[in-house]
Amino acid sequence: MRGIALKAILALAACAVLVVTLGNSSGSKASSTLIFAGAADPTYLDPALASDGETFRVTEQMYEGLVALKPGTTKVIPKLALKWKSANRGKTWTFWLRHGVKFHDGTPFNAAAVCANFNRWYNWSGAFQDPSATFYYQAIYGGFKHNEVSGLQPPLYRSCAAKGQYKAIVKLRKASGTFFPSLVIAPFSMQSPTAMRKYGADQGELRNGTFRATGSYAFEHPTGTGPFKFKSWTIGQKVEIVRNDKYWGQKAKLSRVIIQPISDSTARLQALQNHDVNAYDLAAPQDIPTLSGNSSLKVIKRPAFNVAYVTIHQGSGPMKELKVRQAVAYGLNRKGVVNQFYYGTGKVAQEFMPPSLYGYAKKVQTYAYNPTKAKQLLNSSSCHVPCHIDFWYPTAVSRPYMPDPVRNFQGFQASLENSGFSVTPHSAPWRPTYVAKVNEGSAGDLNLIGWTGDYADPDNFVGTFFNQTTANAQFGFSNASINSLLLKAKNEANFAKRVALYQKLNQQLMKYLPGVPYAHATPALGAEKRVHNLIATPVGGVWFQYATVG
Amino acid sequence: MLRYVVRRLLLLIPILFGLSILVFFWVRALPGSPISSILGERATPALIQQYKERYGLDEPIYKQYVKQLRAWSHADFGTSIATHRTITYEIKQRFPATVELAVAAMIFAISIGLPLGFFAAKKYGGLFDHASLFISLIGISIPVFFLAIILKYIFAVRLGWLPTVGRQSVLIETEHPTNFYILDAIITRDWAALWDAIRHLILPAIALGSIPLAIITRITRASVLDVQNEDYVRTARAKGLAPITVDQRHVLRNAMLPITTIIGLQVGLLLSGAVLTETVFAWPGIGSWLRDAIFNRDYPVIQGGILFVALIFVLVNLIVDISYAIINPRIRYS
Amino acid sequence: MSLAEAEAVEIGIEAPGGLWSEAWRKLIRNPGAITGAVIVGVMVLTALFAPVIAPDDPRFTDLNALNHGQPVGPNAEHWFGIDTLGRDEFSRIVYGTRYSLLIGVVAVMIGLTVGLTLGAIAGYAGGYADSAIMRCMDVMLAIPGFLLAIGIVAMLGPGLGKIMVAVGIVNIPIFARLLRSSILAQKQNDFVLAAKAVGVRGRSVLTAHILPNAISPVIVAATLAMATAIIDVAGLGFLGLGPQDPSTPEWGTMLTDANNYLSSAPFLAIIPGLAIVLSVLGFNLIGDGLRETLDPKLRGR
Repeated sequence: MRGIALKAILALAACAVLVVTLGNSSGSKASSTLIFAGAADPTYLDPALASDGETFRVTEQMYEGLVALKPGTTKVIPKLALKWKSANRGKTWTFWLRHGVKFHDGTPFNAAAVCANFNRWYNWSGAFQDPSATFYYQAIYGGFKHNEVSGLQPPLYRSCAAKGQYKAIVKLRKASGTFFPSLVIAPFSMQSPTAMRKYGADQGELRNGTFRATGSYAFEHPTGTGPFKFKSWTIGQKVEIVRNDKYWGQKAKLSRVIIQPISDSTARLQALQNHDVNAYDLAAPQDIPTLSGNSSLKVIKRPAFNVAYVTIHQGSGPMKELKVRQAVAYGLNRKGVVNQFYYGTGKVAQEFMPPSLYGYAKKVQTYAYNPTKAKQLLNSSSCHVPCHIDFWYPTAVSRPYMPDPVRNFQGFQASLENSGFSVTPHSAPWRPTYVAKVNEGSAGDLNLIGWTGDYADPDNFVGTFFNQTTANAQFGFSNASINSLLLKAKNEANFAKRVALYQKLNQQLMKYLPGVPYAHATPALGAEKRVHNLIATPVGGVWFQYATVG
Repeated sequence: MLRYVVRRLLLLIPILFGLSILVFFWVRALPGSPISSILGERATPALIQQYKERYGLDEPIYKQYVKQLRAWSHADFGTSIATHRTITYEIKQRFPATVELAVAAMIFAISIGLPLGFFAAKKYGGLFDHASLFISLIGISIPVFFLAIILKYIFAVRLGWLPTVGRQSVLIETEHPTNFYILDAIITRDWAALWDAIRHLILPAIALGSIPLAIITRITRASVLDVQNEDYVRTARAKGLAPITVDQRHVLRNAMLPITTIIGLQVGLLLSGAVLTETVFAWPGIGSWLRDAIFNRDYPVIQGGILFVALIFVLVNLIVDISYAIINPRIRYS
Repeated sequence: MSLAEAEAVEIGIEAPGGLWSEAWRKLIRNPGAITGAVIVGVMVLTALFAPVIAPDDPRFTDLNALNHGQPVGPNAEHWFGIDTLGRDEFSRIVYGTRYSLLIGVVAVMIGLTVGLTLGAIAGYAGGYADSAIMRCMDVMLAIPGFLLAIGIVAMLGPGLGKIMVAVGIVNIPIFARLLRSSILAQKQNDFVLAAKAVGVRGRSVLTAHILPNAISPVIVAATLAMATAIIDVAGLGFLGLGPQDPSTPEWGTMLTDANNYLSSAPFLAIIPGLAIVLSVLGFNLIGDGLRETLDPKLRGR
C-alpha cells in the first residue's frame, strides 16, 4: 500500500512540473498581432443595429463613414467624403466622395452605395423599427418612411440622389444642426450594399420583445471599407480582424487584432499583468497606480468627453427656489471630490459639456466651495438651516465619468452637511432601478448621474439633458427661455451662429442651475509598454490603425 | 423494477409542471424594465413608455402562461436582451464549457479524494487520518469564489504559471466540432490545442472541485470503515486472501456504492459553484452566463438559464436514483 | 432518498432514550468538536462585546487616513489596516461577527421553523397532506440551492435581509424532508408501536417518543446549515446581490469590494476571507462532532 501511495504522489508531482514548464507561453510573442480585452462581446457586427461601445470598438476598425473625428480629438475631418456643402438653409447636403475606394468584397464605394445605405435605414420596417434595434437612427432621424409604431417621430430624412459616381445629394425635410456631426458615429458607417443584400442584412425578427437579426451578414460577413477586415467571430470568446491590404489610406501596421471579452475589470487587469493580453479598456481607477507602478505596463488616457453632474429636481421640495439651488452649488466640495477620487484623471466641471467641444462658454458663473455662503443663502430662503434633502446615488456600477459613485457621494454628503444641509442618503443598484428613477424624477432632490458624448455636438449633451421632456421628467422644471434657445441652436444651419447660441445657453444654464456639473473624467486604458500608437478616442472608441506591438 | 422506473418517471410530471409555474410567475415578479437595462442613461421615459405600449403585458395572466408553455414545448426559450441571440443557441454554446469544467472538477475530486479517503480509513486514528479529515473540512469551509481568487492570484498573476482567463488562448486556431475543447483537440489531433485547453482547465477545476473533493474524501473514508468490519470482509481475510485482494475485490467495490448516491447532490453543487468559479476565471459557461444575466437584468436569460439548470438537475437525479435502485434492491421498496 | 435521509434513518432506528447523556460525554472528548466550540465561542463573545473590543466605529470613514486614495496595510495603529474608505478593518471584522452570526441564525431559523412544521405534518399525517407537501418540496429541491437563492433574491431585490430570507427559504425543503423521513422511520419503531398498543394518544406519541429521536439528525443538519448559510450569503454578496449599503461591515461584502483592489491591497480580501473560513470551519467542526457522537455506526469504536 505504501509503495503505491508514494508512486502516485511522485507521478502527480511530475505531471505538475511538466504542465508548468511546457505550457508557459505568454500571450502574444508575435509582434504583428495585438490582443485587446474589452468588457463584453459585440452584439452584431452590423453597426447600424447596435448601440453598445463593445460592438463599435470592432466595427470602427472595419467600417468608415462619410466623415470622421480626427483620432483622439473631436475635430471633424473628411473620410469617405472629401468635400461637403449645405444649401437650402441646411436642408440639402451635397457630398463629394473619395475616388477609388473599394469595399472589402471588392465592390466599389460610390454615390449609389451611399444612397443605398441612407435608403436602407429610411426604409426599415417591422422589427427594425424597435428601439432595441435602431436606437441611434431614431435618435437622430426620428422615424422611418412608414412609421409602424406609435411614439416614432416624423422622419427627418427625405431622399438621396446619386449624381454620377462620386456626388451624393441628401435632402432632409427640415434643417437640422445634428445631422452633419452625427455622421461620424458608427451606426452611420457606409456598408457594402452588395454584401448586405447577399447575406440578408435586413432580415430580422422580434422575439419576446427583443430584436434579433436573422441574416448571416451581422455575424459572418460584415463588409466595410476600413483598414481592417473581418476574419472570424467566436461568439463569447473573440473577434479576429486582419489588415486590409487594399485599403485606400495608410495601411495598418498590425497584421491582426484579436478582441477578447473579459467582463470583470480585475480579471482584465490580471490578464494584462500576466501578458495574456496586450491592452485592455475600461481600467478601474483604483488600478491606475498599479498600472503606472508596473515597469512593463502603462496607462493610456482617453481625452475627457463626458460630464458627471448632480441633478437638482425642482418638482417638489425646497429646490424650486434659486437660492436653495445656489446653496447646493456652493455646498458641494467638487474640487475635493475630484482630487480624492479620480486618481488624477478628473477635472472639475464648470459646465454641462466638456471644454474640448465647441459651444463651450469661456466665462460662466462659477461656484467655488463656500460653506458660509451656502448657509447664508439657505437662511435667506424658505429652507432654513438645516435644510433637509434626499440625495440618491447608484451602487454596483462604475461609469467612465464617475468611477466611484459611493465615495463621490460620501464626499458630497460630508460637504453638504457642513454647509447647512441635512442629507438623507438613498441608493439603488444601477441596473435596473437607478437610471429609471433618475430619468423619471423619482430619485430625491439630488442625485448623481452623468453622460459620455456619442458624437461631437453640444446637442448630444445639453440637448439630451434639457430638452422639454427630460427637463420636465428628470429635473422637474420647464423654462421657456432655455427651451427656445435649445431648439434654435439645434436647428441653426450656420455653424458660427450655432456656437454662439450654445455659449449663451451654457451661461444661462449655469445661472439657472438645473443641476451642478462636477467632473470631466479621462477614462483610462491599460497596456503593455511595448504597445505604441494605440489611440483612444474621446467618444469611447479605440484606433488600431496606427498601433504596433514591440 | 419496471414499476419503480415508471413510478419515478410519473413523479417527474408534477415536478416539471410545478417548475414551469414557479419560473413563469417568478419572472413576472422581477423588478425593473429590460429597456433601462440595455440603454442605461439613454433610456429616456419616452422610450420606456414606447416599449411598454408595444409589448403591452396586459393580456390575462393565464393566456400568457399558455403562450409561454407552448413556446417552451417548442424548445423556444426566448431571446437574450443583451446579446440578441436565442437562449437555445447560447445554451448550446455554453453548456459544453460547463460540462467540461464540471467533469474536470469531478476527475480532480475523485482522483484525489478516493485514495485520500481510502488511506485515511486504513490508517484510522492516525496522523494521516486526522490530516485528511482536516483538509476535507477546510475544503467545505472555503467559499468557492475565495479559493478561486486566491488560486488565480497565486498561480496566474504572481507566478505566471497558468493563464488567468478563458478556455483557450486566443492565438490558437482550431476547429470545434463538439465544443468540448479537450475532445475537439483529440479529434483534430491538435496537440498544442490540447495542451492549451488543459492548462486553462486546471485552476478552475481545482477551485470548483474543492467541495466535491472534501465530500468524497469523507464519504469514502466512512464507507471503507464500514465495509472493513463487515462479515464478508472478515471472512475473506480469514480465508487467507492477501490484503490487497481483499481490498480490491470486496472493500473498494462496496465502498464506492455510497458515492453514486451523492453524485446527484454533487451535480447540484457543481452547477451552483460554477456560477462563482466561471465568473472569476471568465469561463464561458452557463455559470458566468447566469451571473452576467443577473447583473444585466437580462430576464429571458435568467428564466431560461434557471429552467435549464433545474431540468438538468432533475434528470441527473432521476438517472442516479434509477441506477442506485438497480444496484441496491432495498431502496426500491421504501 | 438522499444521503442525509439515509443517515437520519440510521440514527433514528438505533436510538433509544439514553442517547443524550452518552452523546454529551463523547462530545466533550472529541477534539474536533472542542476546537469548533472554541471558535464559535470566540465568535459569539466577539459579537456580544463588539463595542468594547473594536477600537473604532466600523462605519466611520476617514478619507484623510488614506494613502493618496489607497488603502493602508496592517500596522501598529490599525491591526488589520484601513480599507478603501478609510475605515478601520479590525473594527469591521469584529462587528462582522454579529452579521455572520445573525445571518446563520436567521437563515436556519426560517428553514427550521417552516421546514420542521411541514415535515412533521407530512411525516405524521401521511396521505394527501404528505404527497402535496412533498411534491412542493421536490419542486423547490429541483433547483440547486444556491441558484434558488439567487432566484429568490432577484425577485425580492438585493439587500442583506432579503438574502437571509432567501437562504432561509432554500433550507426549508431540506429540513422538511429530513424530519419527515426521520419520523417515518420512527413510526415503525418497536417502542412507538408498543406505546400505541398500550393506548398512548397520537400526539403524546409524537412529542414524547418520535420527536426526541427524530431531532438528533436535525440538530446536526442545523449546525451544518449555519455554516452553509454563511458561505451562501458571501457568495450572493459576491454576485452583487448583498447589502446595498457598502458601509455594512459584513464579511462577504467586504470580500466582494476587496476583489477590485486585489493587486494593490490583497490583505483587504484575505482577511475577511479567512474570517469566513474560520467561522464556517467552527460550525462544521461542531456539526461533525455531533454527527459522530450521534451516529450509531461509529459508536463503540
